[in-house]
Amino acid sequence: MVSVINTVDTSHEDMIHDAQMDYYGTRLATCSSDRSVKIFDVKNGGQILVADLRGHEGPVWQVAWAHPMYGNILASCSYDRKVIIWKEENGTWDKMYEYTGHDSSVNSVCWGPYDFGLILACGSSDGAISLVTCSGDQQWDIKKISNAHTIGCNAVSWAPSVVPGSLIDQPSGQKPNFIKRFVSGGCDNLVKLWKEEDGQWKEDQKLEAHSDWVRDVGWAPSIGLPTSTIASCSQDGRVFIWTCDDLSGNTWTAKLLHKFNDVVWHVSWSVTGNILAVSGGDNKVTLWKESADGQWACISDVNKGQGAVSSIADGATNEQ
Amino acid sequence: MRLKEIQRTAHPAWSPAPHHPICLALGTSAQQLDASFNTTAALEIFQVDFADPSLGMKLKGSLPTSNRLHSLVWVNFGEGEDGLGGRLIGGSDNGTVTVYSPEAIVTSGAEAIIGQSDKHTGPVRALDFNPFQSNLLASGANDSEIYIWDLNNFSNPMTPGTKSQPPEDISVVSWNRQVQHILASANPSGKAVVWDLRKNEPIIKISDHSNRMHCSGMLWHPEVATQLVLASEDDRMPVIQMWDLRFATSPLKVLENHTRGLLSIAWSQADPELLLSSAKDNRILCWNPNTGEVIYELPTTNQWCFDIQWCPRNPALLSAASFDGWISVYSVMGGSLEAQQQSRADQISSSFDTMDPFGTGQVLPPLQVPQPTPQTTLVAPLKKPPKWVRRPVGASFAFGGKLITFESPKAPVQSPQPVPVPRQVFVSQVTTETELLQRSRELQAALQSGSLSDYCQAKIHKAPTDSEQDIWRFLLVNFEDEARVKFLRLLGFSKEDLERKISTCLGKNLQPNGHGVDANDLAEKIQLLSTQVNKEKKISFPIPVSAGTLLYAPVVLDADGLISQALLVGNFEGAVDLCLNEGRYAEAILLAISGGQELLQKTQQTYLEKQRNSISMLISSVVTQNWGDIVQSCALDNWKEALAALLTYAHPKEFAHLCETLGSRLEGERTEKRCLQACLCYICSGNIEKLVECWALQRDCSSPLVLEDLVEKMMVLRKSVERLRNSEVAVQSPVLADKLTHYAGLLASQGSLATALSYLPDTSDQTLLQTGLDVTCLSPVCSGFSPLQPFQPQQQPMSAGLGGPGLSAFPTGPAMPGSSLSGHPLPPFSAPGGLPTMPSPGPPPSGFTPTSLPSGPMPLSYQQPGAPVGMYPPGGSHLHSQGPPAGPPSGPYPPLGPGYPQGGPGAPAVKSFSAPSVAPPPTGTDHDAIHVLLPKCHPMPGIVALPVDRGSLRSVGPYRLTGDRTIKGMGCNLGHRPSVYQLLIGRQISNPCVSLQLLQALPAERVEQREIPAEHMVLKQTFDSLVQRCQLAAQDPQTKRKLDDASKRLGYLYDKLREHSLSNNILGGLHEISRCVAGQNYQRGLEVHTAVVTSSNFSEIQAFMPILKVVMTIANKLGV
Repeated sequence: MVSVINTVDTSHEDMIHDAQMDYYGTRLATCSSDRSVKIFDVKNGGQILVADLRGHEGPVWQVAWAHPMYGNILASCSYDRKVIIWKEENGTWDKMYEYTGHDSSVNSVCWGPYDFGLILACGSSDGAISLVTCSGDQQWDIKKISNAHTIGCNAVSWAPSVVPGSLIDQPSGQKPNFIKRFVSGGCDNLVKLWKEEDGQWKEDQKLEAHSDWVRDVGWAPSIGLPTSTIASCSQDGRVFIWTCDDLSGNTWTAKLLHKFNDVVWHVSWSVTGNILAVSGGDNKVTLWKESADGQWACISDVNKGQGAVSSIADGATNEQ
Repeated sequence: MRLKEIQRTAHPAWSPAPHHPICLALGTSAQQLDASFNTTAALEIFQVDFADPSLGMKLKGSLPTSNRLHSLVWVNFGEGEDGLGGRLIGGSDNGTVTVYSPEAIVTSGAEAIIGQSDKHTGPVRALDFNPFQSNLLASGANDSEIYIWDLNNFSNPMTPGTKSQPPEDISVVSWNRQVQHILASANPSGKAVVWDLRKNEPIIKISDHSNRMHCSGMLWHPEVATQLVLASEDDRMPVIQMWDLRFATSPLKVLENHTRGLLSIAWSQADPELLLSSAKDNRILCWNPNTGEVIYELPTTNQWCFDIQWCPRNPALLSAASFDGWISVYSVMGGSLEAQQQSRADQISSSFDTMDPFGTGQVLPPLQVPQPTPQTTLVAPLKKPPKWVRRPVGASFAFGGKLITFESPKAPVQSPQPVPVPRQVFVSQVTTETELLQRSRELQAALQSGSLSDYCQAKIHKAPTDSEQDIWRFLLVNFEDEARVKFLRLLGFSKEDLERKISTCLGKNLQPNGHGVDANDLAEKIQLLSTQVNKEKKISFPIPVSAGTLLYAPVVLDADGLISQALLVGNFEGAVDLCLNEGRYAEAILLAISGGQELLQKTQQTYLEKQRNSISMLISSVVTQNWGDIVQSCALDNWKEALAALLTYAHPKEFAHLCETLGSRLEGERTEKRCLQACLCYICSGNIEKLVECWALQRDCSSPLVLEDLVEKMMVLRKSVERLRNSEVAVQSPVLADKLTHYAGLLASQGSLATALSYLPDTSDQTLLQTGLDVTCLSPVCSGFSPLQPFQPQQQPMSAGLGGPGLSAFPTGPAMPGSSLSGHPLPPFSAPGGLPTMPSPGPPPSGFTPTSLPSGPMPLSYQQPGAPVGMYPPGGSHLHSQGPPAGPPSGPYPPLGPGYPQGGPGAPAVKSFSAPSVAPPPTGTDHDAIHVLLPKCHPMPGIVALPVDRGSLRSVGPYRLTGDRTIKGMGCNLGHRPSVYQLLIGRQISNPCVSLQLLQALPAERVEQREIPAEHMVLKQTFDSLVQRCQLAAQDPQTKRKLDDASKRLGYLYDKLREHSLSNNILGGLHEISRCVAGQNYQRGLEVHTAVVTSSNFSEIQAFMPILKVVMTIANKLGV
């Protein structure tokens, strides 16, 4: 069941490209081709404009909230090749940092899990992926993976933090050694997995299944199992679910979730990691859930965001 | 940005959009020679692999051709999406149109030519295939010849109509992108003709009056059926004209920027706002034809580019073929590839070195060598973001099962004025577990209303399986009186039934009097036995006197004699041994009774050791009260009997433990049946933890409904335990915490946030979930939630623990296994008369000497189970001042008298033995209770003392992320799987990370702190008293928790007052609130509160204002 509980009129003057709730679902950040980023307080069904952030000189593609432990921090990336990190201090939002290290449109930003520190991955059309880390006191450390995806990186998504080698408790007090990993998708039709080793980012895996641009990737939140799950969607209309059961993380198997008739722009995992929201070029949003026998089934169509919910049976009639 | 390149003088053709991987076909160009003056011709297919960062392309296949080409197209006709299907059609110099199979070119080269026609008389410069029917191909050549070819029937082309006069070369043919029967042709003189194939005639001619248009290119608008562009090759008029057929007298728009004539144009099918043009000014431009603006200039060589094409599949790519003999693939998305540029320069020079085409031994003069333009400067992407990167739709999940969706409303394409469209984002609640929510609501309702009996009844009614039904029956019993009796009945042992059966068996008609054996009767019998013993002694005395000679005779041979002798000398022990040896058990026991307590026990023991039959074990246990053996060794098939025996006899203090031992044995079998039985045992003992563990053993609790099943049982059992102890039972076992956390997470993910919060265990590691729930449920005021806020957990056991009242973290602490349901008898005690459940062989009303009874300490034993709970009320400070909540009634044991006669379920005979042999009476005292608790509490001091040195805490301060070390330090303790230790540490660390105020609240600093200014003391008094009043009135645990938290958080306020760090505005507001509170006008207080919050710097007040609101809200609700 999907029921609209709040309709936020953003007053953006052009196409909206992303809308993300903060960690607790109290605030909504939106960004648009009108070059602005807006933050709304949506608590209790409200929609109070908290901030209208201007600074980008091109369409803003994505916004990402940092883990709240680090404060109220929002990153935005734009066609203007910039990544801006915004921060709220004393109720006022200001630029905290502006990263201009990309040569082309920055298409995706994603903050790492809390355990990894304040680290932002940025994927750009210049083919590179940047890892921007706050090392404290407004010092930002940049690592760049050049030519990560030859003709452009469209999406990045972090792996949940898992202590290597175990789900067993580490001796308390000992600093666990988190393996930082993330996944990216690009115009080379590839899904790539990256891993930090000795401070260097290395390509860990290359997952091939898509026949066109990979539009989005999403690493599912950990639910305490050793299985890693990644969803990828593509211009080719296909959505794949990649899973890896072995601890070494080397064997990934792909399962086709569905082949849509249009480009699939975005995938998003629910916080508990068991539902996948897929949004496609036909303005259609579908929700998918894995059944007990491991098959993925569409559990509902979210109709044009209008709140009308159709069951699968009559879903066909709602296609545009 | 240049991605690929190859040195060829050729016409390129991209593989059609559906084909993957992308290929590029190159057909040798007519009328061009490269530096080698090579005159051979070929059709080559290259794969464009972008995963390969090098500039090279992989040659897949090559076919030598007899003719050089003027035009080449790749049609998606026929089978195959592997990048090689479809057809390649080439228009050659001599008028031949040839159809090739790309697949054949790649595989063998044989039979690569599928069709060939020489209908055209001159060079075929124009080719285009119909976007709707890919079998339809149009070609244009000299002499106004236009043919429409059907690839299915290649030999007989049609014409679109009569040839236009005068005869002219056809330079372009183009199919309309919207209407499939419309074709346009253009010629170098500048005229364009639009043909309707249904009518087979030209329907409109477009001609510029200037007469200087020399059409080198013509394209239909990708989306608007009536619009087309014409490109002029004339250097005097290097423009692109945009025409609309609805107004065909003059061009709609003229795109001017090139300085010399245009050679080629290409319109992106993926974004109609991207039109490429190449011209003799060596430039390649990208236009937005709607605005006429040049939005991109490709960094190119200093050469004319005679052919440009967008890649149909990858919209960011284009190919450019230049007269210098290079074919390049570019991306319009910008970027830099310096290394690759360098490689190209090397490649060029090296190839020329080897070629030395004129044999002069000299490197060719520079005019031939394309100089790479200075590529060190960045290549900017398109000024206008192309359509294909503009994500129009999205759906993201957020906390609490919320789904954020947006979409791009379809704007009317041709509206002249942009119509404002609402840009909306929708927040939806996704609920997938409707049954779970429904059941959770029912459970919640039952838990809150307390009507758990009804709930259990309903559950019994609805139970899908017998075992499920059993479990609910057992759970239900816990809410009823005479729990043990009813447990027995559920196990199939009904006392009434049994009495009837015994009566029948004995042929007597006993009055059912509540217990099977009449104690008086028993006492009489024993008396009788004693008398008989005495009598025997008396009888035996005369023997030696009267028959002295016989005195020794029996001694030697006859056991009787020996016994007699032993008796005579008072050697009871010997006599008993002899009797036992002879198998004369009755006599042995009779003698032993006279021989004293010790001997009797010993005799019993020996008897039981020797006697082995089906009931001896039972008898043995009943007599010796050694139930441990039974539960340890009984056959598991007899679990029912064993449990029944425990219910009947086991001492309250041991009952739970014994039940659990039995339970763990059953559980150990690991079969589903046994586990269910084990669950019943745990329900009897009231051990929630074990119940959960055992239940989870057989089921995958990750499934929501299974988890719901479990939580229902867990909560109901917990409620019953709470009812019996009259106090809240804390969840502290990791298993329980884990399940509840999972459950809470599940509810939260379904949007049921408030309920989720109520389940979240205090010790949960899901600080974020907790805080998230707190943030969303508890403090609705905080619009500008500061980063500090989320990390002050509502429950801060550890920070509070510094001072010692850390016990409050485990308010109800005690190990459930220890005390458990031995508390069952409690209610009967406090409710005189309701005693039938009195389980243990209690004191008989008369006939026994008090010393043989455990009566003295008894009450304590009953009191004890409740005690630990009472001892550690949430406040944690009244360790001894507060008696057990349901302590013994005023008279020592008033219920005993009336209670016992019906209470003892055991048989009278049993009692006679049990009395002396009963285990030492329980000596439960407060101290014992504490001992039970202490081990549980131990970890805490250690952890409290732990780690976080204050310096690092400071630096972690929320607004200053100083130093790697700090961040990592925080990180290291969070986020992995919880052990209790880690949970606590995680929490501990997470607290201080968050709040400087908290630091200021730490004792060490507080020492130096000043007093609250006198004028503000009234605030402290008012608020503290308000919290106290609420605490007294509050009923439900959640409210209590909030209030505990409130006292703590108000500390931050007081600290601020001490520091004089609050602005006058806030102080004024606080005093106003305080006045409202004093006048119990909470509504007004809340209004003032809101006013203060909205008008103040939130970070200044966030530590205490939210909680103040919570307290006032509670106060308002409670009406205190």
